[in-house]
Amino acid sequence: MTTEPRHPHLLKMTDPPTMVGHRCITCERVAFPPDPYGCENCGSPASTFEQWDLEARGSVQAVATVHRHHRSTPVTPFTVGVIGLVGGPVVKAIVEGVGVAVGSTVEGFLAHDEPDNEGNVVVDLRFRVVE
Amino acid sequence: MNAPNLLSARPVFVVGIGLHQYQRRSDATYVSLGLTAVRAALVDAGIEWADVEAAYTGTALLGMGASRIMLSRLGATGIPMTQVENASASGSSSVAQACLEVASGRSDVVVALGVDKPRGGLGAAPGNAGINNLEGGSVVPFTHFALLASEYMNLHEVSDKQVAKVAVKNHRNGSHNPFAQRQKIRTLDEILTEPISGSLTRLQCCPVGEGAAAVIIASEDGINRLQIDRSRAMQVVASATKTEGLYGDGVGIDAALTAETGGAAFEEAGLGPADLDVLEVHDAFAIEELLYAEALGLCQPGEAASRIESGDFDIGGSCAFSPSGGLLAMGHPIGPTGVGQIAEVVRQLRGEAGVRQQSDARVGMAHMVGIGAVCVVHILRKP
Repeated sequence: MTTEPRHPHLLKMTDPPTMVGHRCITCERVAFPPDPYGCENCGSPASTFEQWDLEARGSVQAVATVHRHHRSTPVTPFTVGVIGLVGGPVVKAIVEGVGVAVGSTVEGFLAHDEPDNEGNVVVDLRFRVVE
Repeated sequence: MNAPNLLSARPVFVVGIGLHQYQRRSDATYVSLGLTAVRAALVDAGIEWADVEAAYTGTALLGMGASRIMLSRLGATGIPMTQVENASASGSSSVAQACLEVASGRSDVVVALGVDKPRGGLGAAPGNAGINNLEGGSVVPFTHFALLASEYMNLHEVSDKQVAKVAVKNHRNGSHNPFAQRQKIRTLDEILTEPISGSLTRLQCCPVGEGAAAVIIASEDGINRLQIDRSRAMQVVASATKTEGLYGDGVGIDAALTAETGGAAFEEAGLGPADLDVLEVHDAFAIEELLYAEALGLCQPGEAASRIESGDFDIGGSCAFSPSGGLLAMGHPIGPTGVGQIAEVVRQLRGEAGVRQQSDARVGMAHMVGIGAVCVVHILRKP
């Protein structure tokens, strides 16, 4: 039995976890998630991208607790935040724990998700309030 | 490149409108829904199906080849039929294509139709684009807009009750609309029950049901040749379509895209926000009406909630927002929605909206956004 990330191309399983985006060498735009096709800013193909590590840390810009969901997971209620990463990109992700509000500083951690079909442990990136 | 203003060079008019009520999914076929709307539009225009030279069908959910098997039941005249898909703006884009066809001189009389029936899920292509993100399906449209509501309320110190008053107004408008899916007046307390996501509750989210809407677009030549009642023909003075650009990290794309598209439409029409008497806006979620009122320049940033509370955006105010009930009450059956907006604006400009009538309405706008993101804006004027 192994421990696998839910989105292996988006994460490095460091402590704390590292998010993997891309940087366009032509125009220097940094983006997350990494794009397999091309740069939305300058049109350069993805072959001109370099992998770009992003610290899973940022500030909450908006927050919503979801009470109804069309799937069994995540189990409701769960909270989604818009997070401005310290490295620039803005992402939406689940924020666990109490006290999350606009302006909170949050940090990523690897949370246990549903196991895969072989029974392997699957982890995914979540955020929680640190300040 | 500066595109020629085709709508100015060869004016186009909406001469007929027709709808099938928006409603919960039923056993009715899409064919019967669509034919009801088109037949009503033909009667409204006072013309025959044989007078129609082309058809555009806006639909996002029906699948391939929906038009001919439906419209041939009005007579298999062999006219060109084109199906238009542009997410929630599919119907708006069918109107845009019909206007372009008439303005170009290719046809004099064209029908733009929207028809859809709900199915399991929306089947949106971006989810299959191979660009995965962390959200993993946790951010569906109502949560996307709940997050925008959170950001807006925090930035402008607006309460959830103030946002909910958009829904109170639009449910009240919808209660007077026989084509609306929701026709009940709701109190603020009722609106605030049944939380869905963030501050958004069930009645602050649009119902996605079934329905149909049709409009007949005609040139002056067509109006003269078919002896259509000119006093009921409303001119389309702007038709603008744009897709999302790069607005910078953290910028609300829907409002930024609306500002760009609305600006292009105002420029094409030679009009401004102060000229609008009626505005049918994409209020799929209550917060959107506030965002777009500000993006379109009808008020200053952070001012929309107080303008709603003052009644300024009610029927009888300076500009009637969503007099049909909007997507919140009239409903959002996807394909028909943008066409139904045009029908409501025409009804208002004709002065035929009954208790929903905005007095002396002379200029109206229809605005839709859709997954992509796309935005389509039309401006109509009473000649």
